Amino acid sequence: MVKRAARPCPLQAPTKPVLALGLEGSANKLGVGLILHSPPSADSPTASTSSSDPGSVSILSNIRHTYVTPPGEGFLPSDTARHHKRWAAEVVEKALASAGKTMEDVDVVCFTKGPGMGAPLQTVALVARTLALMYNKPLVGVNHCVGHIETGRLITASPSPIVLYVSGGNTQVIAYSQQRYRIFGETLDIAVGNCLDRFARIIGLSNDPSPGANIEKEAKKGRRLLPLPYATKGMDISLGGVLSAAEAYTRDPRFRPTNPPKGKGSSTSAEDPSTIKINGKTGTAMVSQEERRRRAAGEGPQASMQDVGLSTGPKKVAKVQLEAGGEAVDVPPPAEGEEDIITPADLCFSLQETVFAMLVEITERAMAHVGGREVLIVGGVGCNERLQQMMGIMAGERGGSVFSTDERFCIDNGIMIAHAGLLAYRMGYETPLEETSCTQRFRTDEVLVNWRA
Amino acid sequence: MPSLSKDVKAQVEATRLPPILSLIEQSQLIKQGAEAKVYKSTLFPSPLCTPSSSSSPPPPALPVLLKHRFPKTYRHSTLDALLTRQRVTGESRALVRCLKAGVKVPGLRCVDVKQGVLGMEWIEGWSVREVLGGGQEGDELPDEDGEEEEEEPDDVQEMLKGLGVDHDSLLQAVGAEIAKMHLAEVIHGDLTTSNMMVRLLPTRASPNDPLFEVVLIDFGLSSVSFLPEDRAVDLYVLERAFASTHPVSLLPSGEEGVPHFEQVLLGYKRAVEEKGKKGECSRIEKRLEEVRMRGRKRSMVG
Repeated sequence: MVKRAARPCPLQAPTKPVLALGLEGSANKLGVGLILHSPPSADSPTASTSSSDPGSVSILSNIRHTYVTPPGEGFLPSDTARHHKRWAAEVVEKALASAGKTMEDVDVVCFTKGPGMGAPLQTVALVARTLALMYNKPLVGVNHCVGHIETGRLITASPSPIVLYVSGGNTQVIAYSQQRYRIFGETLDIAVGNCLDRFARIIGLSNDPSPGANIEKEAKKGRRLLPLPYATKGMDISLGGVLSAAEAYTRDPRFRPTNPPKGKGSSTSAEDPSTIKINGKTGTAMVSQEERRRRAAGEGPQASMQDVGLSTGPKKVAKVQLEAGGEAVDVPPPAEGEEDIITPADLCFSLQETVFAMLVEITERAMAHVGGREVLIVGGVGCNERLQQMMGIMAGERGGSVFSTDERFCIDNGIMIAHAGLLAYRMGYETPLEETSCTQRFRTDEVLVNWRA
Repeated sequence: MPSLSKDVKAQVEATRLPPILSLIEQSQLIKQGAEAKVYKSTLFPSPLCTPSSSSSPPPPALPVLLKHRFPKTYRHSTLDALLTRQRVTGESRALVRCLKAGVKVPGLRCVDVKQGVLGMEWIEGWSVREVLGGGQEGDELPDEDGEEEEEEPDDVQEMLKGLGVDHDSLLQAVGAEIAKMHLAEVIHGDLTTSNMMVRLLPTRASPNDPLFEVVLIDFGLSSVSFLPEDRAVDLYVLERAFASTHPVSLLPSGEEGVPHFEQVLLGYKRAVEEKGKKGECSRIEKRLEEVRMRGRKRSMVG
């Protein structure tokens, strides 16, 4: 392959190693990570980093603590903020300890400026300001989505992919053009992660480790595809109607819930079953406010703190490439004469198939429009292997490939904030203390991506 | 046994390609679009239609464009079959509706719903995107066939400039064509600059008319509606496409000129005011404003 006159990368190799601490807490995950950008050395070529970035990158630590709510419930901003407050100090300490660094070694503190839930964002911004003032370090506010994209590019070493960013709050198809990540398509109403999470809540799936993961597990048992609305509008999609239609199936007389709506879920029963009232109609478990606060404060069932991995190399990265005749859906059709029932697994299967087909379609549309060959999936829903598989088949048919990361980097983490923040910092950007506020609304295309050519 | 021969016959039938697919096999693949493969082929006029006794030479073969919505293996086969069927019928109906209303769209030549193939008139020209010269910029990707794609637009632009086709009049013509389509109660659903062609005309219809026409293509996501809402969303989709690929035209001085979409809107309004109902234009305009606001509201939460 001949590299044509590429524009010079505006990002210069660092003259000395720079260490960034990243703090992420825009939703129910509190993540802290340490990342080191060092000057290129003779023995370690730049292979592990994106080709446009001279210098090498190493991830020193990546710690995450997730606030897990009981089945049937989402996370409220106030409780999530309480959770982050409770765990911030410990997670930061653990991140520093496992990297073998102290706050004195850190060159810059990066935090999520937005988008996200207000209260958790504020909490984490407060932590960032405190650390910066205590140790006299500069601050960099980072756009959450840009963090996802930059980390995805770093991990997969894909230089200029079409990005599908799918998470609980966002659903966007993004391509880079003229120093901006431009949004080609997005959801017109709710995000795909929101759609899946809410459906998991409707059918009472556990939120541990995440509702999306449990939907994926459930969907593997699904046997029939139920018709759901398929709403693509140009490069945009609409998911609200799909969710309503899926919910409507749970009121269908043929619907057979697998979990009887009482005493389900290991995480709730052991703790304090008396606080859980069942709203029989929707199967939503109600938890008292005190109980919720207790959980947020870290006393209830919790996913323990995770050391979510350090490797920078794309070795564990799932790079799905299509072999001839890629497998399609491997679910057998229902046998003849089988009872006509709808199971939650069928609904999960149908929901995933429909929603992911829409996502792959708009990504394909964007690929056709801008002429890209590579797709990068980032965001929490990007962990879903069925989505990765579908995207891999699509990209393979177009002679391209798909890059995705695993749950260490797909799901919100501190590294993504540290990495994107450090890129901006190396371009000379710092957020003055007065402007270290956060914002719930912060579009991806508002950020000037001046570190890319 | 009669049933056996029937089975054998059925088997033979099954192995034979459907006629439309064997036509595709002999055709030339032009490009793989978002959801379909597009082929160029030729259709010969049926001998039944041409008087055999006449001594005149047989009519020339017609170039046609075959759009094959091939099965998408990434999606569930049931869903795929359903979507393909819906889209092929939807597209052909929209084309017929546009043709009846005099909107410049490719003529319909053949439809095979089962195989997902649509045969259309071949449009000789360039897409508006090629003419405006946009695309994904950024790290120049090493791309084997990127060279020719890159070079063509310059030639096209030079040539069109020679014929007196400037960007502004082209964009206004785009707007006017969309207006005609909307007045025929067709909503395109996927208005992008790749989905519009510029075709040169052999002669000017009248001295003031331009030497080109804009042909709208790819009605794969179209629907039928006369609501200002749907029309406004249609325009908004185009605005977003412009914003992401070719935001503004650069003046020769290097300054940024009028945003491209403004010119499109100008042509659109003029056409709606001329041919539409009274007040229709302002209703759509007002709604477009609302859709823009709503679009902004999705300023990303979480």
